[in-house]
Amino acid sequence: MELSLQAILPVYFDSKRADVSEVWGKSLNFQKGEYIKIVAPSGSGKTSLMHFLYGMRNEYNGDISYNKKNIKNFDIEDFARYRKDHLSIVFQDLKLFPEQTVWENIELKRQLNPFHPAERISEMAEQLGIADKLQSKSRICSYGEQQRIAIIRALMQPFDFLLLDEPFSHLDNQNSQLAMQLMLEESKKRNAAIIFADLERIDYFPYQKLFHL
Amino acid sequence: MPLSFKHIKPLLQTGTNKASRWLSYIGLGIGVLLLLCSIQMYINIQQLLKENIVGKEGFDFISITKTITNETMGQTEKNLFHKNEIEEVKSKPFVEDVSPLLANQFRVQLSAGAIIPFSTDLFIETLDDSFIDRIPASFTWKEGQIDIPLIFSSDFLEIYNVFAPGQGLPQVSPETVSGIPILITCEGNGLKQTFRARVVALSDRINSVLAPKTFLDWANRTFGNNNNISASRLYIKTKDANSTELLNFLDQKDYKVNKDKTKFGRVKQVLQGIFSALGIFGLLVVVLALMLFSFYLQLVIARSKDNLQLLITLGYSPTWLSKNVSRQFVPIYIGIVLVSLIITSIVQYLFHRFAMYQRPELSSFVHWSIIALAVALVALSLVTNYRLIRKLLYKMF
Repeated sequence: MELSLQAILPVYFDSKRADVSEVWGKSLNFQKGEYIKIVAPSGSGKTSLMHFLYGMRNEYNGDISYNKKNIKNFDIEDFARYRKDHLSIVFQDLKLFPEQTVWENIELKRQLNPFHPAERISEMAEQLGIADKLQSKSRICSYGEQQRIAIIRALMQPFDFLLLDEPFSHLDNQNSQLAMQLMLEESKKRNAAIIFADLERIDYFPYQKLFHL
Repeated sequence: MPLSFKHIKPLLQTGTNKASRWLSYIGLGIGVLLLLCSIQMYINIQQLLKENIVGKEGFDFISITKTITNETMGQTEKNLFHKNEIEEVKSKPFVEDVSPLLANQFRVQLSAGAIIPFSTDLFIETLDDSFIDRIPASFTWKEGQIDIPLIFSSDFLEIYNVFAPGQGLPQVSPETVSGIPILITCEGNGLKQTFRARVVALSDRINSVLAPKTFLDWANRTFGNNNNISASRLYIKTKDANSTELLNFLDQKDYKVNKDKTKFGRVKQVLQGIFSALGIFGLLVVVLALMLFSFYLQLVIARSKDNLQLLITLGYSPTWLSKNVSRQFVPIYIGIVLVSLIITSIVQYLFHRFAMYQRPELSSFVHWSIIALAVALVALSLVTNYRLIRKLLYKMF
């Protein structure tokens, strides 16, 4: 899969933003296997960009294409297919089911298009230090734990692109590194690209392209 | 491994609105029951009354006479149907055919010989064969033949059996009446001849004594002196004896209809009207219950909106979700319709056994169309649910 941006700019941004940004208003092409870092201060439209790329919102000018197909022409079923097979995401606001257990939250994503057997959930939870939380409701987990749940959930499916929106905001350095390591391993298995948007550069993400939003 | 709905089911918040859900289930049950029972009863009436309407090859036969009033009672001419009047009736689109009931123009006497000491003056009439309900092969007559086959009204036999004991005469069963030798004496034009007659059939439809047309034509020529073909009664062959055009025409002409023959038709009309109304009421209840259930569904979807929206965000197909959400109600719908169908079957069984004393026209089992309707109702409920849920989910996108 190929992901392209053609001069996109949120409708609620001034057109001058395109002059100073390396993403807004530019034409960019992302391929499988690439590691892309997008550094953006607060309010520069990081989450908007991730939502646009994932097809959740369309308040932008310009075009975004999956495999040269403009996603503005997609219907809800087309997005469902891409999100199941090609695109995975860790949301900044995590988007977990608060009343379901940690295990159920992850399993809901895994069963959609299983890349791993169910046992892998426990292994990953062990790896990221939340194995003892698997049977707890997700709403009673700390924000840091919830971030790790969202990361494991994103790794349950096959994908060509992994979109990360400030995935480590509530994790300490050591836990962030563990999570990053897991995501890099999983991406390698799929030869997938990672598009990582964060406030600042992170040393343990071996990006090949860097953009300032 | 197919995608499982097991983990998704708890995400649908259905629990807090049990009362409205059960209300719609009960409403649906009552509506379906009313609908199925009314249609079954409608079919029962059709089958019961089909047998009672006098008909031959799909036609109804009715006899009409002119209304005899105080003004016309002395004037035979006014009480008879003339050729032009017969032609007029025949020309109407709702009348298939007309046959005048022609009577004897001479004196006829009947006696039962030595077996039953009974003798009476009698009349003989004749009618086209196609108007007679039971024509035995022997109902023919050729000039020179001494035996005359007769068709008697079953009513006459009943009347005879009523007065016979009082007169010291033996009563006669329908089976033995054909075995009784009858002597018919025709007299007129100075001639007198006695024939041997035999009852070859009893007719429910025609209130008369019928002889073959060939006999009466010959006898009227031989013994009678009037060539007028006017008849006091006409038989009408029609597709529907209850057609309003026909009845209006007869009323307008002041012709009197043999009401017995249309009585069942009228009863049938009233009963079918009642059950049609009940059926429509049942259908309305079904529609209302489905609407109530759709409100309940909308409420469930609205309550579970966040969860469903997140499932779609994660990559669940709205079509798959709609199918599976509506599938949750399949057992309930099938259950409701099945219970209604079972109750309808029990009602039909009891109706046939205890109210209709197992009449052969009816069946103890429900008609196949009731089962087909039940299946169609389940399908209808599922399709409407599926479409509603899908619409609501697509709106979330």
